[in-house]
Amino acid sequence: MPRITLHNVTKQWGKFIGVNNLNLEIEDGSFITLLGSSGCGKTTTLRMIAGLETPTRGEIRFDDKLMFSSEKNINVPAAKREVGFLFQNYALWPHMTVYQNIAFGLETLKWKKNDIHARVAEMLKTLKIEQFAERYPAELSGGQQQRVAIARTLAPKPRVLFMDEPLSNLDAKLRGEMRTELKRLHKDMGSTFVYVTHDQLEAMTLSTKICLMNEGVLQQYAPPLTVYNEPANLFVADFVGNPAMNIIEATARKLAANTAEIDFLGHKGIFKADNAFDLKSDKISLGIRPEFLPISDAGNLEGLAYSTLPAGMETTVKIKIASDILSSVVFGAIDYETDAKIRFSIAGSGILLFDRSSGLLVAKGSISIQ
Amino acid sequence: MNNKEPEVQKRSGNLLYKIKSYFSVQANVLIVLFAILLLVLTIYPMYSVIRSAVTVGNMDSMMYNSLFGLKLKNGNFTLLNFEMLLGNAFTAEYSTSYFWKPLWNSLRMSAYASVIAILLGGIVAFLITRTDIHFKRFFSSVFIFPYIMPSWTLALVWKNVFANSNVGTGVVGMLESLTGICVPAWFVYGIFPCSIVMGIHYAPFAYILIGGTLRNMDANLEEAATILQASRFRILTKITIPIVMPALFSTILLVFSSTMASYAVPVFVGSPGNFFVLSTRLSSLYNSTYSGQAFVMTIVLILFGVLLLGINQRFTGKRKSFTTVTGKSGQVSYIKIGKANIVLSVFLIILLFMISIFPIISFALESLCENQGDYSHLTLRYWLSRENIGGYAVNVGNGILFNKSIWAALWGSLKLSFIVSIIVGTCGILIGYAVARKRGTRLASLVSGLAFFPYLVPSMAFGAIFLAVSSKLTFLRGTMLLLILVGSIKYLPFASRSGTNSMMQLSGEIEEAALIVGASWPKRMLRILFPIQKSSFISGYLLPFVSCMRELSLFILLTTSGTLITTLLSYFDEKAVTQMSNGINLLIVIIVLLVNFTTNKLTGASIDKGVGGN
Repeated sequence: MPRITLHNVTKQWGKFIGVNNLNLEIEDGSFITLLGSSGCGKTTTLRMIAGLETPTRGEIRFDDKLMFSSEKNINVPAAKREVGFLFQNYALWPHMTVYQNIAFGLETLKWKKNDIHARVAEMLKTLKIEQFAERYPAELSGGQQQRVAIARTLAPKPRVLFMDEPLSNLDAKLRGEMRTELKRLHKDMGSTFVYVTHDQLEAMTLSTKICLMNEGVLQQYAPPLTVYNEPANLFVADFVGNPAMNIIEATARKLAANTAEIDFLGHKGIFKADNAFDLKSDKISLGIRPEFLPISDAGNLEGLAYSTLPAGMETTVKIKIASDILSSVVFGAIDYETDAKIRFSIAGSGILLFDRSSGLLVAKGSISIQ
Repeated sequence: MNNKEPEVQKRSGNLLYKIKSYFSVQANVLIVLFAILLLVLTIYPMYSVIRSAVTVGNMDSMMYNSLFGLKLKNGNFTLLNFEMLLGNAFTAEYSTSYFWKPLWNSLRMSAYASVIAILLGGIVAFLITRTDIHFKRFFSSVFIFPYIMPSWTLALVWKNVFANSNVGTGVVGMLESLTGICVPAWFVYGIFPCSIVMGIHYAPFAYILIGGTLRNMDANLEEAATILQASRFRILTKITIPIVMPALFSTILLVFSSTMASYAVPVFVGSPGNFFVLSTRLSSLYNSTYSGQAFVMTIVLILFGVLLLGINQRFTGKRKSFTTVTGKSGQVSYIKIGKANIVLSVFLIILLFMISIFPIISFALESLCENQGDYSHLTLRYWLSRENIGGYAVNVGNGILFNKSIWAALWGSLKLSFIVSIIVGTCGILIGYAVARKRGTRLASLVSGLAFFPYLVPSMAFGAIFLAVSSKLTFLRGTMLLLILVGSIKYLPFASRSGTNSMMQLSGEIEEAALIVGASWPKRMLRILFPIQKSSFISGYLLPFVSCMRELSLFILLTTSGTLITTLLSYFDEKAVTQMSNGINLLIVIIVLLVNFTTNKLTGASIDKGVGGN
């Protein structure tokens, strides 16, 4: 299983830049998700690594072996990279049975007949589709087709498995099931998975590391919880998490190396960071996750219930305070009357301070209201 | 610093690498290859047409010199061909009779034929796709007969039925011999029969294109209007017709330009009544070797084709925005036509009998008449005689089934059609593949545009061009190779169109899924792409086969009468051996229908798909 390295990879169509100077190291055996909204360059990145798309500039290595280099005029074709690719619409061949679909790649690799048979049987069993071996793709449901596509991709034992939004055509329940199985499959196989998705929940739950992109530029490349708890900038902060993080415009004045006075929501508070930090300007944005705004009568902030969205296990409460509307998540189902008074506080040490003009994360800490 | 040296080297290395990597993708190789090939095959003929149009030809020099007191020699540059044909003070009468009148006739005939084709094809398409009329399957398979059969089939039948003792040579037709009724001359020969016959011949074409759109139209579009309480009529006029409008325009223009270029029908039921169109005049100019003017006329016909295609492109360009109509179509609720059902079904049965079944019966009958038009004395002599059939000015030979030259010509036609269809069908698929993979690039639109060019050149002119080519490349002259070359180019348009259509329907991922497991390009084509679109690809082979089998005007200048069954047919027809020509016609029709139906049954391929319907 290789380590994949991308060095200054750029993809350009005329003047349009699809992927801009991307540097990425994908460790052996990891499960990486390329996350971003549509058109951010994540699929292009995946296709470039797989060899289905040719980068305009840069270098791609599998371990120490160059797969692509614009400098050295090297471009190893997709077929020679020994990778597997799972397509969004499965791309099952409609004129072949499930068995033939899975066996095709092995025949191309000139496996022996007995080995092919054994491997296909094994894949059918692993993905629990033995009973469909002689069916045609059109005779299968979406979830079954998905399994066949996975079996077909895994059969030749690819060193790396690339997946382009493989679950987006499934219904919510099936998607959940397939997620569980993909994660399990990754553990069992031990190969490297690179996975494209626009669904942040999928990225959060599946991956060992998330590569979040926006307009062709890498925003943050870190483990899911790091991305969640310490987003590199306001874009990441806003993109990851549901309901989205509360971003509150505020002004700050440094009091000590790791302390600042914050003016926000018509209140003054003291922000105490874990580490010393610098303020470039007094214009900042505060990032507070909804779970850090607990509602209780003892809270020192007051707002009005703008809207309540109970989802069963938890409830999202939209609180109007000053000119902002904040989200708070409360465990269990409650229902506030519209415009009822709500008291809440700011809790925990996960409060984030961003520089407003650059959008970059400055510090993480806690806030106490004065 | 000697920094510059390696910089330059790197660049040239880079260019070489870029070229190499560009051509490592098969679609790129194909698109460049076809761009070059098609450019040569378009530019060279165009060049030779224009050159011939401004050159003094064999007979031209004699005529011009005596008319205008000039001393022109063979091969001199001249604009006289244009002046003569398009008219100046000296030759007003000539140019009226050879150009302006035939042009006017061509335009009128094409317009009438388009209207007839659209009405007939459109109504049948509507009845079959949108109403609960009976016998749909039967109607839809029999209705395309007139398009599969040679275009002159119906013209011959028209003649067989309506000819009478008051008109022309006075041959007695079926109607007169059975009822004694003599229809007037304008009914037998002239613009009336020409337009009707052409209209009926292309009606299936209209049916295929309009029916395809209607069938693929998302039922939701009409349902949405139903929910808004629009009446059936309102839905038809405000939703359905506007949506099929592009297909309608497309059909009108294709029928119009095909009719403009058609030769056989005006020859059979036009010329005997002194009704001349451009294509028949074109042929007589070629034959009288006033070739300079013939090529001027060819240029005019090509310009008309380009103009019509340009208009068509504008509409089909717009049509793209309608392509949502080919979405997932739900179950269409058929209009219940109630009691009209029986009336309309019976009417359609009668109509289809007249245009699709009757011609076959008529040919059979005519080939059995001892004397033409006399149905009281029937004989199998013309089929079964093992001796020479005498009594004609020419040597007819044995009866059809034992006639060596007929079998030889039939074999020639089959061989030619088979080879042409293999070449054309394969090129169509490859062009389709290259265009679909490179879609949106300039090279792709160039190739798909050029591939349609041969459609714009009338068959007769095409034959003339390659006659000129073969006089330079003498090894081609009169050979099967020349016929294969000409046929392959002429039938490329529809094959490349249907190839492109079916390739466009396949997502790139289907191929990439095979690419990534290391399947080579031929393997991807043969094992993945071809099998998936098998029936439409085979349709791309079927249409050139059928077209080639029944083609006359394309080959008639290039070969002797005994080479192909159609040229032999034309020979017998000219020599008025009607029993033989009818019998041969029957043979062609039966072979063509047989090939069509066996291919259809075995592979699901059909002429509809070859034409670009769905």
